[in-house]
Amino acid sequence: MDLIKWKPTELFDPIAEFDRIREEFDRMFGMEPVITGLFDRVKSPAIDLVENDDAFVLTCDLPGVDLKDLEVSIANNVLTIKGEKKDTREVKDAKVYRQESWFGSFQRTLSLPDAVDSDKIEAIMKDGVLKITLPKKEEVKPKQIAVKVS
Amino acid sequence: MAKELEGKNRRVVSPVADICEAEGKVILRLEMPGVSKDNLEVKIENDELIIEGKREPTDSKGRFILRERRNADFARRYTLDDTIDREKVDAVMKNGVLHLTLHLKEASKPKKIEVKSK
Repeated sequence: MDLIKWKPTELFDPIAEFDRIREEFDRMFGMEPVITGLFDRVKSPAIDLVENDDAFVLTCDLPGVDLKDLEVSIANNVLTIKGEKKDTREVKDAKVYRQESWFGSFQRTLSLPDAVDSDKIEAIMKDGVLKITLPKKEEVKPKQIAVKVS
Repeated sequence: MAKELEGKNRRVVSPVADICEAEGKVILRLEMPGVSKDNLEVKIENDELIIEGKREPTDSKGRFILRERRNADFARRYTLDDTIDREKVDAVMKNGVLHLTLHLKEASKPKKIEVKSK
């Protein structure tokens, strides 16, 4: 059961290698920040996906994204998280000293296995973290079979 | 900066920060997803502005299929100079983003001196 496209990391990728070297240097000289936020990885939000017996639980970092600018949808077992991150600072003629974050639109798509019950999906946004619980269909949940002594 | 706080149980990373100055204020914007108001600490010690945010690790009951979020707390320190009014700091936490407004001291703003004639 493949949930997402698997990208082998051990294959030599020259571009990734440059990124790795740069990160290594940044770490060595203590250059901040260690993370670059929402667009840290390939300009899409970072996701954790955990599978347990009852459900898949997705956690996604979306700091500064307003609920009204966020859209989560599912079609043909493909989950899409998309939205826009806006700068909410209301200042005019600001002198910018440092700008590490990124504003703009983002999108992330995940292929889900058929086993997910798309009617029972629950999504909660709290403190800039989106948590989506995708319950598994009853028939795919592991069942315990009681063995009786005859 | 963040390294000083390491050695505790969890790893610490610097939150992404934007800093700008406008209308006599210095505005900091720090991205700390997963940090609630109660788990956030902002303090000024001597000449240092210290921002620390703790966050819950991803519930790991199960098998990780994707693991891209950093399992770490946030911390960042800034050195303040004398132009910042330490008594007037506003902090607002919203959607995992901390907005800090530091006011510049009145004394550091340009002041006109009146010259009297005798």
